[in-house]
Amino acid sequence: MTAPAYRENARILFGTLVALAVWELLGAYTSWGVAMFPAPTRILAQAFADRELYALHGLATLQTSVSGFVIGVSVAVFAALVFCRLPGLELAFRGVNITLFAMPAIVIGPLLVLFLKGDWPQIVLAALMVYFPAMSATLLGLRTVDPRLADLVAAYGGGEGVLMRHVRLRGALPDLFAGFRVAAPLAVLGAVLGEFGSGTRWGFGAFLLSALPQGNPARLWGIGLAASAIALAGYALFLLPARRLSASSTAVTLAAVQPSARPKGGASTRRILLALVAVALPFLIWWLGVTLSHVSPIIAPGPGRTVMFLIEGRHAAAARAALGHALGQTLPIALLGLLAGLAFAFMLAALSLLAPALARGLLPVALVAQNMPLVAVVPFVVLVFGRGTASSVFMAVLVVFFPAYVLLHQGFTSVPKAASDLVAAYGGGRWKQLVHIAVPYSIGHLIAAARLVAPQALLGVMVAEWLVTGVGLGNLLNISRGGLDYDMIWAGALVSILISVAAYEGVGLIERRIAR
Amino acid sequence: MNALPARDREPSSPGAERSVDLIVDRAGKTFETARGPVRALEPIDLKVARGAFVALIGPSGCGKSTLLRMVAGLEQPDDGGAILVRGKHPEQFRKEGELGIAFQDAALLPWRSVTDNIAFPLQILGRPVKGEAAHIQSLIELVGLKGYEAARPGQLSGGMRQRVAIARALVTDPSVLLLDEPFGALDQILRRQMNVELQRIWVARQTTTLLVTHGIDEAVFLGDTVVVMQAQPGRIAEIIEVPFARPRLPSLFSAPEFHALCDRLTVSLHGEGAHP
Repeated sequence: MTAPAYRENARILFGTLVALAVWELLGAYTSWGVAMFPAPTRILAQAFADRELYALHGLATLQTSVSGFVIGVSVAVFAALVFCRLPGLELAFRGVNITLFAMPAIVIGPLLVLFLKGDWPQIVLAALMVYFPAMSATLLGLRTVDPRLADLVAAYGGGEGVLMRHVRLRGALPDLFAGFRVAAPLAVLGAVLGEFGSGTRWGFGAFLLSALPQGNPARLWGIGLAASAIALAGYALFLLPARRLSASSTAVTLAAVQPSARPKGGASTRRILLALVAVALPFLIWWLGVTLSHVSPIIAPGPGRTVMFLIEGRHAAAARAALGHALGQTLPIALLGLLAGLAFAFMLAALSLLAPALARGLLPVALVAQNMPLVAVVPFVVLVFGRGTASSVFMAVLVVFFPAYVLLHQGFTSVPKAASDLVAAYGGGRWKQLVHIAVPYSIGHLIAAARLVAPQALLGVMVAEWLVTGVGLGNLLNISRGGLDYDMIWAGALVSILISVAAYEGVGLIERRIAR
Repeated sequence: MNALPARDREPSSPGAERSVDLIVDRAGKTFETARGPVRALEPIDLKVARGAFVALIGPSGCGKSTLLRMVAGLEQPDDGGAILVRGKHPEQFRKEGELGIAFQDAALLPWRSVTDNIAFPLQILGRPVKGEAAHIQSLIELVGLKGYEAARPGQLSGGMRQRVAIARALVTDPSVLLLDEPFGALDQILRRQMNVELQRIWVARQTTTLLVTHGIDEAVFLGDTVVVMQAQPGRIAEIIEVPFARPRLPSLFSAPEFHALCDRLTVSLHGEGAHP
């Protein structure tokens, strides 16, 4: 370890100790501290008293997460291999992939319960959440082949099979592990969100639901911290192999030609056909799943029936009104949270450029926090913001802020050195560099961040509504679940997924226009 | 004469065919781009005799790399043109493992050792690697990398990586060797060393070699024949014979007749008005 790194670590350790000490003092000796920020020692004492509960709930969530993770990454790696060989199939599955990425996971849990028994709803939800990040990272790794190596293989008469076996598979390993690293915390989030929906007895989700009304701040904090610890352990598990592998896999020199991720060419009719398939496939899978499972159409209606539920029939008008009312409460908050979170992240990332010390302090926190399961912050939000609208807004801002900050920080730091050197050469300071170089340069990153976190904002608000505030779309789904109003569960899920996908695609459209 | 413009489309006698390793017959290349077709190479003719060392030289965009890639079967010539390597189509020829190739960048697999990188073409061809250990070891010694058998590409210098690429190109005992600016990324001093090394290796084997290069001195030092190409559109401007006897010594780099030939090439590259 070099001396500066050693000093840096010492500084981080010192900062953490100071923060813990302040937390302990405030949490133990101020009245609002006792109510909102219970002292670390009290949280630990409470956790020790609850140790049997932790063992039961923790083990259940751990088992669910691990099963879901294993299933999810297996499917993801298989899918990535298939998509790599058949790019057309990837275009056809685009709708399915984006739906799985953008869906507010909390709405899927109540649906899975209708088909599956035991722990399977939670396991499948965890697997669904794991799938997209693991698949896209693996596919990126498989596709990113040094074109010179591809030439070399071709020059000796080797085909795609040889390239896959000797170059692609090994070259994809670092990306694979990077995907696993991001996916592991999501498995925990999926498991916990699934527990909310399935009404299971054991698991951190159940633990949290039972603890929320009890008014024991120390226990709530303990649950949040324990769930985060499991998720971050999963993240850390894949950190080391990924680092070791990337050291031995990075090409020594840069390839002159950047590989194109998208398959080029192709007849336009074929493209239009694939786009149509991409849109139709999610609905086809829905219809097939409902038909093949032989669950009563009253409990599990197909796409047609769900759409008709909102269009005609005796209850259609009432259903539309209920859904519209809920959306009216949810969407403005999600949008507000998205914009505020992005603005906050942009400002702080820009400030980090003016004051690098800020970035040094904030970046590690953001890197960790973006991998904390969303539900783990629920206790904190309830204790600090109560059960009003502020909680929903804060939750949305929180889920948006951390990933956006990490992305924007990358954007601000990837400004070409020559550009900032030019400003410096004409006597411009940091402020001039920020205004003329860094901010314009980072607009692309801002929009990319917006695209990635827009679905998260909706999920954040819906989780807050489900667990905390009792209004809006999240609450509507929770009530429908309790009241066995199956048509409404399906309609609410459909509408929220469509909104998420539309937000993702809409921002993507702006992104492509700007990139042009 | 080792290379000659092949104006006659059919070789006159079957006996002459055997001594010619490479026939380029009215092969041109047009790339389709978003702004319409771009002609990278006019249809050209070229013959390379067995055992000859031919250097292709010319400015960027003259199509010299495209020509080499067509010989390797990595690009297809436009309709009406054909390339035959020892009487076979490039795709067929390379499947038999008779082709050796090295690029401007070593393009080594970063996770493999020197030995395993050199063995890679054998694996692509589906040949057994185990029996070739002694052969690979002799190649490592030939390119002067003894002691580095287990090293990864990241632990080697640029010149050493390029030597690994040369050894890799030789591992299949190719009858035709294609070198696409193999020393283009090296500094001038290292480049001269590698030129001398490559000549030593080539003299030992007399493999038919096609070398694409930017360097006038490199082309003159290594080639039996220098094919001068020009850009917009890519075409052959002139074919110049190099009279120096082999083996050529490093002292040749400072000989007056060497510089005279380099100046002659400069004129050919830049047109009549250029002052060498």
